[in-house]
Amino acid sequence: MKPGFLTGALDPPMSALAGPSRRDFLIGAATGAAALAQPVSRPPVIDCHTHAGTASDLTAPWTTIADPKEILRRNKEAGIDKACIFPISHETFEEPNREIASIVARYPGRFIGFAKHDPANEAGRIRPMLLRECRELGLRGLKLHVRPTPEVLDTVAELGIPIIWHPRRVAMFDEVAKAYPAVDLILAHLGSDLSADWREHLAAIEMARRHPNIYLDTGAAVLSRYLEQAVNELGPERIVFGSDEPEVDCRLEIFKIRMLKLPKQQEQMILGGNLARLLAKYRAGAA
Amino acid sequence: MTVIDCHAYLGAGKTWYGPQREVEYKLEALLERGAEAAIGRHCVMPARNETYSEANKLVADLCEKHTGKLIGFAAHSPQREAGRLARALTTEVKSMGLRGVRCDGPPTRELLDAVSDLHIPVMYYPTGDAWQQLGRFYHMPAMAYPTVDFIIPHIGQYCSWRWPPHIEAIDLAKRYRNVYLDMSGVGSFKYVEMAARELPSDKILFGTCAPEMDPRVGKEALRLLKLSHDHYAKVGGLNFQALISKHA
Repeated sequence: MKPGFLTGALDPPMSALAGPSRRDFLIGAATGAAALAQPVSRPPVIDCHTHAGTASDLTAPWTTIADPKEILRRNKEAGIDKACIFPISHETFEEPNREIASIVARYPGRFIGFAKHDPANEAGRIRPMLLRECRELGLRGLKLHVRPTPEVLDTVAELGIPIIWHPRRVAMFDEVAKAYPAVDLILAHLGSDLSADWREHLAAIEMARRHPNIYLDTGAAVLSRYLEQAVNELGPERIVFGSDEPEVDCRLEIFKIRMLKLPKQQEQMILGGNLARLLAKYRAGAA
Repeated sequence: MTVIDCHAYLGAGKTWYGPQREVEYKLEALLERGAEAAIGRHCVMPARNETYSEANKLVADLCEKHTGKLIGFAAHSPQREAGRLARALTTEVKSMGLRGVRCDGPPTRELLDAVSDLHIPVMYYPTGDAWQQLGRFYHMPAMAYPTVDFIIPHIGQYCSWRWPPHIEAIDLAKRYRNVYLDMSGVGSFKYVEMAARELPSDKILFGTCAPEMDPRVGKEALRLLKLSHDHYAKVGGLNFQALISKHA
């Protein structure tokens, strides 16, 4: 990891943000930087999969609210230093992504902002939006629920950011991973949200074995036997810790990793090292 | 205090929830990880089978060999084993030492009459699409058999695949004195916290779904509830002990 990687390089430029004042942002950033400037005895623990923000539908928890204060309380208890946050469910994501940037600024040093987009609903507008969201708002990754289009993948490749994708079926990863080998794809939920179909966990392990640019996010794999299997068969290099907060509790999700009793270095790779390596590939370019 | 896991499995069969797979739950795996989690006793029941006389016998035999570690529940299908439930269950409880019954299908009058006579608890989780109607399967039995204790596993929803049944299960436990919730196999821990916050301390039972699920995770969930000493003791074992102690 680059020295100082987590001390502000991921925080967004102030001018682009709505929400906290410039003064609040500077105070917070200074405090966060000071805290992180102290000697750190271990690499930061990063949760790659957390939702934050508000939505309007009010039909389910994920169309209502994901409160960052609650997430931070559990993160602290779990020993999680940073969480990658992205919006809950919406039709389009320009405003929700601005809200994410605003939350990142409100809690300096605690969150890494990811954009979310719907490649179908927002077709034709994604490239300019995503470039702006990364280069002006400071977001550093992309969350998807549907298959990425070439428009999305070309932009992501240009930016050097990872995609965390929760697909309907793991098999959808195959063509994308093959066509864009330089794009890092994080397969959410070890292939099956809440272990709804254990066969998808096995398919995810197989898919990661086939494509070196696929990583498995551990979040919400209720059947932790498949997490053990993934680590045993793929090694720690391809596993990325995630929780799916606030629907799934990060304290239990991190317990599942620690329960594996891996050598410290391997555990650190899963708990943050691997993701930090992916995030460091970001190419700033011109704003 | 001894922590009792009210929901564990032993023996061969299929998983209880779909998509099903063939399993053989081994005693060694259960006890090894249970010991690591400092769980004193497990209530074990068979994996899913078409009929249960053989599977129940295996569970009873293992419970007899490991009296201090295991408590046994029979399992039965009220539909597929109709007509022979009372006799089978009476033997399994009175002669073989089993202490409750896991229902593989909606409980019928035949089953509940036998259970009522034996003073044992019933554990039932509606499977397939029936999870959408948790109340439909509990309102009438809970009202019609007020002396029978019903245990709803997973706070109403296995792995939290859907969230509304969790809230419905908590409401059922509030409404009926004889409905209890088992906290095993919940994916979204906030609903376990909700149940612990909203229900009286005698309504929740600690469970793990081991060895299908790792009992160490279940035990960590119990710790994370941050209950008072007395509340922890009740959820951790005393509540379940009380339910299985009604059989004379």
